Amino acid sequence: MTYHFGRGWSRMMPYLLLLPGIIFYLVIALGPSLATTVYSFTDATGLKGAPIHWIGLDNYKEFLFMGRASIDNLDSLKRTLIFCFFVTTIQFTLGLFVAVIINQNLKGRNIFRTLYFMPVILGAVIQGLIWSLFLYPLGGPLAKILEFFGTRSEFLGGQPNAAFAWVITIQIWANMGTTMIIFLSGLQTIPAELYEAAKIDGASPWQVFANVTWPLLTPSVNTNLTLNIIGSLQAWQLFLVLIGYRNGTQVLGYLIYATGFGQTSGSVTSSFRQGYAASASIILFLLVLVIGMTTNYVLQRREKRIME
Amino acid sequence: MNTTISANKTSQKPIIDWGKIGSYAVLVLLAIIYLGPLLMLVNTSLKSMPLFMKNATGLATEFHLQNFVDAWTKANFPRYLFNTIVYTASATAIYIVTAVFVAFPIARGYVKYSGWLLTLFVIALFLPPALIPQFQLILNLGLYNNPIGYIMLFLVNPIGIVILVNYIKTVPKELDEAAALDGCGYFRFVLEIVLPLIKPAVATVTVLHAIGIWNEIIAPTIYLTNKDYYPITRGLIVFQGVYGSNWPTLAAAVLMLTFPMLILFLFLQRYIIAGLTAGSVKG
Repeated sequence: MTYHFGRGWSRMMPYLLLLPGIIFYLVIALGPSLATTVYSFTDATGLKGAPIHWIGLDNYKEFLFMGRASIDNLDSLKRTLIFCFFVTTIQFTLGLFVAVIINQNLKGRNIFRTLYFMPVILGAVIQGLIWSLFLYPLGGPLAKILEFFGTRSEFLGGQPNAAFAWVITIQIWANMGTTMIIFLSGLQTIPAELYEAAKIDGASPWQVFANVTWPLLTPSVNTNLTLNIIGSLQAWQLFLVLIGYRNGTQVLGYLIYATGFGQTSGSVTSSFRQGYAASASIILFLLVLVIGMTTNYVLQRREKRIME
Repeated sequence: MNTTISANKTSQKPIIDWGKIGSYAVLVLLAIIYLGPLLMLVNTSLKSMPLFMKNATGLATEFHLQNFVDAWTKANFPRYLFNTIVYTASATAIYIVTAVFVAFPIARGYVKYSGWLLTLFVIALFLPPALIPQFQLILNLGLYNNPIGYIMLFLVNPIGIVILVNYIKTVPKELDEAAALDGCGYFRFVLEIVLPLIKPAVATVTVLHAIGIWNEIIAPTIYLTNKDYYPITRGLIVFQGVYGSNWPTLAAAVLMLTFPMLILFLFLQRYIIAGLTAGSVKG
């Protein structure tokens, strides 16, 4: 494209002014991101000036195959997949369901939409603290309801599986609004005439959904599925706020953080093992890559089929 | 044919629209799940500790405003809030200015290989997390436990670049030529003419970026050990550790942070939505 703002030295202005942004990006984001692979083959620690040695695949071997720790690692890997599965399926279904309901011509729909979308601005800390209070086991609202049914629960402080299930619930509470908003914007692109036509043909609400809404919603379906899967595989902030690093609840993201930065909590202690943590990051990354690409492949094929 | 007739019947004399009632029932039920935790927070923040111990769920019968005073002073609230504001404002400002100067020449093709440059930014979304090497970098630069090092972490946001590039493409190119003929320089042109024209996109990117920094909890846990540097998120977690059993005070602290954000949300909502849907077009 023709550049109008001068020649010679002044032609360099766009390059010069572009430089800070590019440098930040290369130094803070792209460079470190690529270097994670390199670090995963070393015994780096988090200590300044400590020597770093090349140890080949040792970190990976240790992570996957050595003793009790690797069993814990594989457990947390499995737990990451379970978390991903429940969060994605429930959040996707609920988000779609709510979007379809709100998309009707109902009074007060904007109020409901705003309300469900509200948690996105609060962030993990406030979301977590609000729910810790709501799940207060000694006479909190949910404890009261359980009491009414003659039962009780420690919620976040109880059995690992129960605590884990609550984190899933709160994760969905916090992010369902995003899924809903993306579906709503997709729903608004569907021409009203199509619904009119379906109505004239005497289609039932379910037939309208299956034959008009669902196929035409394909772009939003793809976006939401991809975002939900990748997001939930990497999410662990709520675990940090709600239950801390606790045996039987860790997901891979939290494990990476704990091994790399020596967070201790209760009976679980870990050290600053950054090379090892880097190898765990790469394992999580490969997991995201494989699942993400498979999903993408399936979705693309489906989209082609629908378009034909 | 039958269904058409019955549909016409119901539209002629609407007796009870079960579909609508069902819809409202679902919406109200969900609303309770979304409002419940917030109401509990407000209610608890107004109670005294003995009242909370006696009955955690019961309605507050008094306004125990001392909670808010306690939270404000004991949680070191002003200091942490000030830190958060400084981090968010400075990192967002630096990011936005540098991002506009990255996005504009890429969108216009004023630099060589602009297509490749844009791809370079998008690539970051598909690469391994940078967590560990980033830490080593900051550590070896001597910026660990240092507000400048902390702010540096937030000077990058590839999705923001994509949103800006897409928006700048809608600004007519004839403008560049006309401004140049009038003797306007490149730097001034971008700041004084382009920036006001792309305000909606800048607002969206600003809001998305700022919310991310404001709510960040992992980075402060990793990089900041000095209490004087804590942002409010870390401050709240520490406060929970110390006053965890004193829910009324803790609730007051959380509410003091939540309430202004909810008000802000009402105004910023459309920018967040714009950012989300702009991203989803790409996906």
